[in-house]
Amino acid sequence: MSDENQVDSGRRGLLVATAAAGGVAGVAGAGAFVATFEPSERAKAAGAPVEVDVADLKPGEMKTVEWRGKPVWVLRRTPEMVASLKKTGGDLADPKSERNADDLTPEYARNEHRSIKPEFLVTVGICSHLGCSPSPKLEAGAQPSLSSDWQGGFLCPCHGSTFDLAGRVFKNKPAPDNLQVPRHMFTSDTRIVIGKDQKGEA
Amino acid sequence: MAFHETKLPADAPAAQKALSWVDDRFPLTKLWNDQWGKYYAPKNFNVFYLFGSLAALVLVIQIVTGIFLVMNYKPDANLAFASVEYIMREVPWGWLVRYMHSTGASAFFIVVYLHMTRGLLYGSYRKPRELIWLFGVGIFLCLMAEAFFGYLLPWGQMSYWGAQVIVNLFGAIPFIGPDLSLWIRGDYVVSDATLNRFFAFHVIAIPLVLLGLVVAHLIALHEVGSNNPDGVEVKENLGPDGHGVDTIPSHPYYTTKDIFGVACFLFIFSAVVFYAPEFGGYFLEYNNFIPADPLKTPAHIAPVWYFTPFYSILRATTSQFMYALILCVLAYGALIMTKTQLPSRQKQAAMGIAVVTAILMLVFDAKFWGVVLMGVSVLIIALMPWIDHSPAKSIRYRPDWHKWVYIVFGISFLILGYLGVQAPTDGRTLVAQICTIIYFGFFMLMPWWSKMGEFKPVPTRVNFKPH
Amino acid sequence: MKLMKKLLMVLALLPALAVASEGGYPLDHAPDRSRQLPALQNGAKLFVNYCLNCHAASLVRYNRLRDIGLSEPQIRDNLLFTSDKVGDLMKTAMNEKDAKAWFGAVPPDLSVLVRAKSSSAGSGADYVYTYLRTYYQDDSRATGWNNLVYPNVGMPHVLWELQGVRKAKFVEEKDPHEAGKTVHRFAGFQQVTPGKLSQYEFDSQIGDLVAFMDWMSEPVKSKRQAIGFWVLLLLAFLVLLTWRLNASFWREVK
Repeated sequence: MSDENQVDSGRRGLLVATAAAGGVAGVAGAGAFVATFEPSERAKAAGAPVEVDVADLKPGEMKTVEWRGKPVWVLRRTPEMVASLKKTGGDLADPKSERNADDLTPEYARNEHRSIKPEFLVTVGICSHLGCSPSPKLEAGAQPSLSSDWQGGFLCPCHGSTFDLAGRVFKNKPAPDNLQVPRHMFTSDTRIVIGKDQKGEA
Repeated sequence: MAFHETKLPADAPAAQKALSWVDDRFPLTKLWNDQWGKYYAPKNFNVFYLFGSLAALVLVIQIVTGIFLVMNYKPDANLAFASVEYIMREVPWGWLVRYMHSTGASAFFIVVYLHMTRGLLYGSYRKPRELIWLFGVGIFLCLMAEAFFGYLLPWGQMSYWGAQVIVNLFGAIPFIGPDLSLWIRGDYVVSDATLNRFFAFHVIAIPLVLLGLVVAHLIALHEVGSNNPDGVEVKENLGPDGHGVDTIPSHPYYTTKDIFGVACFLFIFSAVVFYAPEFGGYFLEYNNFIPADPLKTPAHIAPVWYFTPFYSILRATTSQFMYALILCVLAYGALIMTKTQLPSRQKQAAMGIAVVTAILMLVFDAKFWGVVLMGVSVLIIALMPWIDHSPAKSIRYRPDWHKWVYIVFGISFLILGYLGVQAPTDGRTLVAQICTIIYFGFFMLMPWWSKMGEFKPVPTRVNFKPH
Repeated sequence: MKLMKKLLMVLALLPALAVASEGGYPLDHAPDRSRQLPALQNGAKLFVNYCLNCHAASLVRYNRLRDIGLSEPQIRDNLLFTSDKVGDLMKTAMNEKDAKAWFGAVPPDLSVLVRAKSSSAGSGADYVYTYLRTYYQDDSRATGWNNLVYPNVGMPHVLWELQGVRKAKFVEEKDPHEAGKTVHRFAGFQQVTPGKLSQYEFDSQIGDLVAFMDWMSEPVKSKRQAIGFWVLLLLAFLVLLTWRLNASFWREVK
């Protein structure tokens, strides 16, 4: 009888040890395969920061560059456009860009104009509703689908969400969030690099 | 039949209740017990009996690594080669997936050849196990096709020219050959069209057939029960519990034994994957690191090592050799006429076929017959259940000199394999021709030699030493 | 068991069949500098300066050079010749059509060349190491150069300024295998003009370049070997455990 108990406890010990070691091997192997899903070097290289030269951008003009497969708008706002940002405050869903701030608004953009320099807006041109690219409606004044006191901004053609000239979403629209301001920095007065800032690469 | 719901006491564990719910609707426990848990197998299995489960393991490895490779591979003649290096360099851990797949391909053949050797040694193909053997031959053919189609995918020089040569083999068939080759390729030479269809065959068509054949192979096995190294029919000696006295349930005994086998296999497999994935150019051929160039054939094309024995036979079939073959065919016809007990109608038919074959061997050239011989050298294995007339299933109870016959056969097979990787010379071709005669002689003369000699009495109980 | 023993014995005594020699120039052994980062970095510098003008290494990204100890600024400032982004692939400046017209063949991509050139005569690194050091002047060739390892190659001696110009001496000798025939045999180099480097220095530079090309053909090699050690250790442990586990069950089988 005692023989059997000895066999049993020895065997159980081996079973546990084998299961544990086998489990480690299995998890390690599975982990390697799961890791193959991570972005490859090619994807990371394609997602590398993009430099934009804004020397030729006139006030009121907008440039679009591609970063990580998405359109990024660089808008050189006129002084009137910057001033108009104060007027839209009451109609906005999130005027102080407090929602999802970590994802959507880096610290240097947590201000009235949502940018490093008031003149230049840098924002990802993808609507926070379901991912269409809004159309620029930079001119002030009443237009179809826009409010009668339209100050200028963007209108998304898919479901009608509107954003002001700082990319902030208006109330009572399908889109929940302001447009994302990507991490960016000025490498000179006229060159912006998108996807990188003082803290490193995005 | 009315549905019968198993009733368990209210305080039964949840797991037991869940299993019972499933078992009432799906034969899960029955499947487990019939196929493995209470599948009673002879207790004298030796090392040779590990290779079946190892083959299943390698199949799973190839499928899983294959799926992950397909996520990043591009089946386009312009992109394929670079996409493989993309996997090796840029996909996180892609290099591991690739090396496991390339090593797995060679491992598959090593394991399967050893598995087949077991069958030959112990008469595992004898009645009532003929169908298991035939499904096995089907699996072997699918495996060769799978390897062939898969090898084109990296689109290296060996990939390209190997495919070109093999597809041209079909061109050797009289009358329909060239059209058949064109149809297989989808183009005048191996090209993007060929690559795409080979990709489809390799990734889904053949794997499905392979899985089906493996299931059939196992069902046929479980229907009649396993053979064993002594060739004793263990079901003829039942104990009071209804199972063979020399059998044990597969679980836990063969579960633990097979897991040990798996651990040993994975150790060797990993040593290759991490330290020698090219394996001297045999598992990953050096020339395949050059992108395919339709205008330049490498100096040395050889098929991958697992095809070389059969390739040797193809190459050995020269116009000179045809005369030797004609003699052999006619002699075989004469042998059937004089040394068999068949009805005279069949004897005459056999001689007639021999004569017609001999004439055709004079009409069609050696190129065609080389292809035929290569094909027959693979398919002849299927005949084993009917050409082995030995009174003893297992080599253990046959006359000692039979062992030498098997050894000579085995060595010829290995020599043929070795010669297949070398460049041909007159001397080597002669050796290959001799080995070809030995190879075919082993099978074709088996109905006679397998009966000859003094056999040892086959015991009623298996040879087993408790450990 | 007896049969297995017999099989093994006979296999072990398998007569070694003669292996015919491949013919071709005997290869020198490339020095193994795969673990010397300074050598690999020097090799990278040589590669970018001398090879990328005609050859591509289009399966390698510039930023992969981080693995041999270079930082991105270092790569960007010193090695970015044919591109402007450190994440780009190492393509060549030369156009394929031009290359075909000028050299008769497109210079092959070098990304995995060292793996492709392995043979029974030596490793791929040995091949490239010997090849780059056995050029000689030959006015009968369009480029003015010929090579002992790859006779009549279309590539000129790109590194001639470092090695200097050499001529090769050949002698006609009686063929030992066939009476009445002669064999053209290489009998040594003759330095015509000196190069910037001594022979020893030149060989060492080529050693660095070849070590880099060897690294480039499989950058993950050292990591694979390092991981392999731990994998095999774990599996050895598993072999031991499963062996004892199996034994513990089979004890009860009579």
